[in-house]
Amino acid sequence: MLDSFASAAGYMVGNPMSFLLIIFSVAWGIMFGAVPGLTGIVGVALLIPFTFAFDPTEGMLLLGGVYVGSTFGGSISAILFNTPGSPEAACTSLDGYPMAKRGEAGKALGYALASSAVGGIFGTLVLMFAAPPLARLALQFGPAEYFALAILGITAIASIGGGSLIKGLIAGLLGLAVALIGLDPLTGVARFTFGNLMLLTGVSFIAAIIGIFALAEVLQRFADGPQESESMPQVSTKLPSMAEFLATKATLIRSSVIGTVIGALPGVGATTAAFISYSEAFRWSKHPELFGKGSPEGIVAPESGNNAAVGGSMIPLLALGIPGSATTAVMIGGLTIHGIVPGPMLMQNNSDLVYSVFIGMLLANVLMLIFGLRAARLFALVLKAPYQLVGPAIVVLCMTGVFALNNNVSDVAIMLVFGAVGFFLKCYGLPVASFIIGLVLGPIAEVSLRQGLILADYELMTMVARPIAGTLLAFAALSLVYGLWGQLRRPPSNRQTTAEPKTT
Amino acid sequence: MKTLERVHLHAAVAAAAVAIVALPAIAQDYPSRTVEIIHQYGPGGGTDRFIRAISAPMQDATGESFVPISITGGGGVPAYVTFLQRPANGYTLVSISPDDVINHALGRIDLSTVKPLVRIQYDQGLLLVSKDSDLKSIDDVLAAEAATPGGLKVGVTGSAGFDDALVGLFNESAGIELGTVPFGAAEMVSNTLGGHLDMMYEEYGATRGLIESGDLIPLLLFSDERLAELPDVPTAKELGYDVTMGRWRGFGIKPDTDAADVETLVALFRDAAADEGYKKVEADSALQYRSEFIGPEEFQTFLDEEIKTYTKIMNQLGY
Repeated sequence: MLDSFASAAGYMVGNPMSFLLIIFSVAWGIMFGAVPGLTGIVGVALLIPFTFAFDPTEGMLLLGGVYVGSTFGGSISAILFNTPGSPEAACTSLDGYPMAKRGEAGKALGYALASSAVGGIFGTLVLMFAAPPLARLALQFGPAEYFALAILGITAIASIGGGSLIKGLIAGLLGLAVALIGLDPLTGVARFTFGNLMLLTGVSFIAAIIGIFALAEVLQRFADGPQESESMPQVSTKLPSMAEFLATKATLIRSSVIGTVIGALPGVGATTAAFISYSEAFRWSKHPELFGKGSPEGIVAPESGNNAAVGGSMIPLLALGIPGSATTAVMIGGLTIHGIVPGPMLMQNNSDLVYSVFIGMLLANVLMLIFGLRAARLFALVLKAPYQLVGPAIVVLCMTGVFALNNNVSDVAIMLVFGAVGFFLKCYGLPVASFIIGLVLGPIAEVSLRQGLILADYELMTMVARPIAGTLLAFAALSLVYGLWGQLRRPPSNRQTTAEPKTT
Repeated sequence: MKTLERVHLHAAVAAAAVAIVALPAIAQDYPSRTVEIIHQYGPGGGTDRFIRAISAPMQDATGESFVPISITGGGGVPAYVTFLQRPANGYTLVSISPDDVINHALGRIDLSTVKPLVRIQYDQGLLLVSKDSDLKSIDDVLAAEAATPGGLKVGVTGSAGFDDALVGLFNESAGIELGTVPFGAAEMVSNTLGGHLDMMYEEYGATRGLIESGDLIPLLLFSDERLAELPDVPTAKELGYDVTMGRWRGFGIKPDTDAADVETLVALFRDAAADEGYKKVEADSALQYRSEFIGPEEFQTFLDEEIKTYTKIMNQLGY
């Protein structure tokens, strides 16, 4: 193994181009992550033709750097404009934007950046040293385990809004209901599409979150009318201190582990990792009441989770040749075009390539931190601009971004509808977090439950009575009971006061 | 169908709008900008890779890009509808495969609204098991099914699509009741390796790495002849089950596209399919055996035949 590292490091030193490629790809990735509608997948796919000009190792360094950069990049627009630039950053909006809004944009970006780097480096180190065993662990996850994992996340919807149990449930179930729209994933029957063929594919998640977060926020701000503090006079570009950052270390470690494991599971990626990290951070937090109002843990959890998932999703790719996420699926395509057969033999047959990618991803994370810390303070200054100018610009950017997704007007329509949905969720104090968790985890829970039931010949107990699935489900049930008990024990007056997470 | 009428109307409006905008460009040579190829599969999947591979020599020849546009979900219908909404100016193609024929047979889309352009690849699929499976040969599969009909589950990709049709046809032919469970392509492999699924159906190209490492064992091939790469794997045909259909990949274009542009495209594809770089990609996935380049007329005849075949199959299977 050390030989392989030395050989790969030798390759990179002898090939300075590779360093330039990493620098370029991280910057390119951050840009694709930050611009709404342009995601890491698009960023990687667009670069594939360019990899033809390089050797396969350089090509993979390029794609790996973009993947790392784009997973962080989304959080910039999520924090500054409540506009998640990519789906994996949706969760970061929940606490990042409130923190930025109270004038601490620099701090919010700093938390996101530092936790992204820590999560990313953690995931890469696990990838380097434990890929084969973790890939075997991932194979233990069948439909029953995916189902249990999704249920574990979904049980948080009732409590995560920080207030009323009923409101959390309403929002969460609405999210689950929206997730049902589209072609039935197992039988191919159309559900709730009302004859609209474009709805067969379901509600585009990116279009929906951009509507719910960005557009709804703009609507809200304009509905509130001009405020005296319209341009947020005291925008602080101060970054969090080391002590402040280290105060979140428990969340950081937990989310990095969760992110790496979820990333290693085929078919679920950084977005799921971010949301499950977030709901677990909430469950274990000493200050759950701060979630949704700018809690540092609420930023650290999804950002370390989704960046750890980058390394995690490379695990099945490099150890087994099966992609752990949509972005790695595109990378596999890139490898095959170079004549490399992805599979268990990759690490032996192409060890220079594999180990160069390890080193490249570590470098990419470090570079991201160095560039990002400088850029974060500059980015934060954007908030000094008056909202009358920023708001319309956000709307235009969202419209073009969502259209650019698939060159599809129906996605823009979905975004507009969900802008209204988000606005009304806010009006009635329904927690957006619960809605989105339902929307993200609902499809995973549904599909895996039904796959699992077919495999178990429709015996529910046969399906769930397995070590990993059973443990996760038992844990979900316990935390649900505990949460309910906590809710009911609280005096009703207290329940009322925390029920309105008004953002203004 | 009301919705299709609306789609046509949209297409007409879009075509008119683009025609006005594009007037000054007509004099230029075709293609003079990026050509988009819409397909219904995920980025990085077999079709996406095929489009990237075949378009590389075409880009060299024309200096213009041919890019795959992946519109997944909805059983492939949204991808096709998106294609219909595009103008007939030669800059949007759609990938056509048996999944589209099945969608046509089930009444989800209407393939008379596309002009078949070229068919290039013709693949062959395998039934595969994990190396840890108790099923060591296709005889084990048949024996297990004879003992408990419907006891074995096969992982497939897509719902009520090509894979379902193939497994259904094999079931009929062999008198067994293999159940199908739809998965995403990656999860299907991990669930088979992890022992959650008994078997999976997949093409050789996508599973080659795992076959070579010995993690996946192919039991049965659906083709006319054995593959040189897998000389020990019997075909269903030689065992007496006449199931040889495979996934083919071709392209279509809007019917009222300029005839000269269509000709240019066909010639570009013909050269690309004969290109050495592309041939190598094809051989990497053992795609050279049944793949044969056919142009618009032959492809139309082939497509009409396929529509008849799959309509019959889907009826038999009770869809």
